[in-house]
Amino acid sequence: MSTLLEIRGIETGYGRIKILHDVTLDNASGNIGLFGPNGHGKTTLLRCVSGLLRAWHGEIRFDGQVITNLPPRRIVERGLIHVSQGNRLFPDLTIRETLRLGAFPRRARAQEAQNIERVAALFPKLRERWSQRVRTLSGGERQMVSIAVALMSEPRLLILDEPTLGLAPRIKDELCDAIKLISQAGVKLVVVEQDVEFLLDLADHLYLINHGEVAAEVRPGDSMNHEAIMEMYFGRQTSALT
Amino acid sequence: MSTIVDIVMSGLFQGSLYAMIAVGLALVWTTIGVFNFAHGVLMTVGAYIAWQLASSDALGLPIFIALPIALLASAAIGLLMQAAIVRPFIGRPDVVLLAVITTLAAASIFENGTLLIWGPRPMQLPPLAAGTVKIMGIGISAHQLIIILVTPVILAALWFFLTRMRLGLALRAVAQNEDACHLVGLNVAALYGLAFGLAAALAGLAGIFLGGFTFMSPTMGSEPLSKALVVVIFGGLGTIAGPIFAAYIIAFFEAISIYFIGFYWTPALLFAVLILTLMLKPEGLFSRRSRSLA
Amino acid sequence: MSMGVGIGRREITGMVVGAVVLALLPMVVQDSYYRHLLIMVFIYGIVASSWDLSLGYAGIFNFGHMALFGIGLYTYGLATTLLGISPWIALLAGGVLAALAAALISLPILRLKGIYVVLVTFAFGQLVVQLIISQSDYTGGNQGLVRIPSFHIPGHNLMRDHKLGFYYIALILLCCSTVFLRLMVRSRLGLAIRALRDNEEYATSRGISISRQRLITMAGSAVFTGLAGAFYGAYFRNASTDVFGASLTTLLLSMVLLGGISTIYGSLLAALLLTIFSEMIAGLGAWRPIVIGVLIILVMLAYPGGLYGAIAAAARALRRLGRRQASP
Ligand SMILES: Nc1ncnc2c1ncn2[C@@H]1O[C@H](COP(=O)(O)OP(=O)(O)OP(=O)(O)O)[C@@H](O)[C@H]1O
Ligand SMILES: [Mg+2]
Repeated sequence: MSTLLEIRGIETGYGRIKILHDVTLDNASGNIGLFGPNGHGKTTLLRCVSGLLRAWHGEIRFDGQVITNLPPRRIVERGLIHVSQGNRLFPDLTIRETLRLGAFPRRARAQEAQNIERVAALFPKLRERWSQRVRTLSGGERQMVSIAVALMSEPRLLILDEPTLGLAPRIKDELCDAIKLISQAGVKLVVVEQDVEFLLDLADHLYLINHGEVAAEVRPGDSMNHEAIMEMYFGRQTSALT
Repeated sequence: MSTIVDIVMSGLFQGSLYAMIAVGLALVWTTIGVFNFAHGVLMTVGAYIAWQLASSDALGLPIFIALPIALLASAAIGLLMQAAIVRPFIGRPDVVLLAVITTLAAASIFENGTLLIWGPRPMQLPPLAAGTVKIMGIGISAHQLIIILVTPVILAALWFFLTRMRLGLALRAVAQNEDACHLVGLNVAALYGLAFGLAAALAGLAGIFLGGFTFMSPTMGSEPLSKALVVVIFGGLGTIAGPIFAAYIIAFFEAISIYFIGFYWTPALLFAVLILTLMLKPEGLFSRRSRSLA
Repeated sequence: MSMGVGIGRREITGMVVGAVVLALLPMVVQDSYYRHLLIMVFIYGIVASSWDLSLGYAGIFNFGHMALFGIGLYTYGLATTLLGISPWIALLAGGVLAALAAALISLPILRLKGIYVVLVTFAFGQLVVQLIISQSDYTGGNQGLVRIPSFHIPGHNLMRDHKLGFYYIALILLCCSTVFLRLMVRSRLGLAIRALRDNEEYATSRGISISRQRLITMAGSAVFTGLAGAFYGAYFRNASTDVFGASLTTLLLSMVLLGGISTIYGSLLAALLLTIFSEMIAGLGAWRPIVIGVLIILVMLAYPGGLYGAIAAAARALRRLGRRQASP
């Protein structure tokens, strides 16, 4: 039980179309980073981990226990929290109401007041907008709320699916700092990012997801530099095209 | 003077019933995104179950014991109905249409089931309280007065639940983003059941209120349901306050129209006003476009 | 299916053959009960296929369709009993008034979407009922209208011919209705309403006017529905508000949905099956709507795409089976 999240031989898809073919990530140490071309199954894998999508085959373990195809709320209760890609959240709830919902899991309720403080300290911008409806928030603010809601659920492992998608560089940096703080507080991360710099900053162990498979990985010991990754990324993609 | 008291009392009484029914419809629409055409028969069923428990011809329990049991039974029926004929279609693009037909079919089943079990003979529930109360020289039955006073309390409690309590927030959230609900650990299926059960209990309560006031028949739910339709069209389905205001407004409109224009033409007048309103303000008087509560 | 305008030659042949077969059928079917069954099939077939025009082709969630039938029925009943108008003219009046009523409902729903269209049209139906009940001096209220005069054909007794006269009148209505509906959906208008249903923004940007198309569609779906309602009054010689009730609405709606929407012929086929089934269990009394309701729910649960979808699924399964046997 060396790693918090172990994924073995996962196959899944939508309808009859298989998207993931035998994905295995069982040797990760530290924060996991996923990258790869658009539409090759990163989000699909994460949805499968958090129980939103049924696995057709394979096994997912969290903290040593099998969580494959459990209802999402059972997975949330164990502390595996998924911040989904481009989450619109609940447009007609206010930030405060949304955060209260985040504390819905039983184990998070006792810590609610404390977590609210923590979140407010992490994202001071949100505190000014406590009773604003989520639908009226900017993209960056909404992303902050998404992460804040996840923190309210007392995560042990936090899945972040493209947290900086479509955000301006300044907000991106702000978010990156916040995420680092979260990681330093002892929450393990699984991050999907298109921005390689950002990913190198946060993740210890990288996997390239291509055509629904793990096409390559970069272990913590390996020398990771921007160049090499870009090469992997594009090299793979062109070879896949031919 | 007495006509004014008459109109006010009638408006408040009918408004209470309409509000209670319409709020249930709005609750189901906002959380599940379907419109329940069996809502009217849930009212009927609640009233008949209460009759079975409370009538001196049947079990003869005191109404205050019969009432909560009947409400629980109504809620249970609503819950089962949701699981059997609504839940299987959730997520399909044509869920609205499919739910219309299955809830209509359920309405027909329950209406005829009531007819088979209890027969066509009109029956009456014992009132919540006996006797009459004099208000400004006008006698009003204690039963009606209780309804007028209790309904706003129930509606306020519902509002409090939906806006201040975590479970109520969860009900509102489920309407807005199902995936995000899963990801904060909500039991979405249970919330759907809760919404339907709650709405069914409200309908049952309205049925019991009505059954203590007029005669009950297997078709007693259809007229209030059609009024509740008008109410939710006026008030919009997307909020909870909208239908409540609209319920009282329409009840007063009716009371005034019945007094001055007569019982015969009031439905037509009501519909004419409805058409006009919709042509001017298609999404209802108080509603936003989205599907959300409170 | 080609998107051309007009009815193809194949279809015309099919229609003619169908009409001739139905016209000759009474020579084989002598029993007045079976003729009655067929008459009911024709009536419900007209109503269901007309409903398919608004609900299926145009995507207008009109749940007041049975009210249009009821309007035809009561127009006929009141015109003949109260005003003493000739039954034949009253029959036409039934169609015209239903079309006018449909045009009236289409006004408020022009700018509405989805569930609000359902609610307004449903409420319209309910209010028609309430109006009928409240005007009981004329309409008989809950008791309904009785002893409505029926058609009169010089030199022929409609009561004594084992329903032969009614059979042919109903058949003529059905044929006219089907030709009318098919012409309508194969016309430019039919293409326009489908375009509106599938992509409103695109269609309006191409200059298709929503309000006009919806109004014409609604009126078009009402004409023969109203005529069928009037015929129903002449046939049964009474009128009651039952025709607005949940049971009949569910039955007719399930014909449209089970038949598979946007087919016209599918509704006719479903009308045949469901009417015969429903009439066969007429002896069950209050159990009948319960049985039908349960059946509809079960079919919907098993085949949410309708019988049409079920048949398509069965065909697929057969084909797959055939392929498996072909390649051992
Ligand atoms: N609900 C769905 N139904 C059918 N197909 C889907 C669905 N969601 C995703 N897909 C398909 O699955 C494939 C993988 O999508 P996925 O979202 O997992 O990619 P991704 O790697 O996260 O891409 P991106 O970087 O753009 O977010 C895509 O081809 C997509 O079209
Ligand atoms: Mg993705």
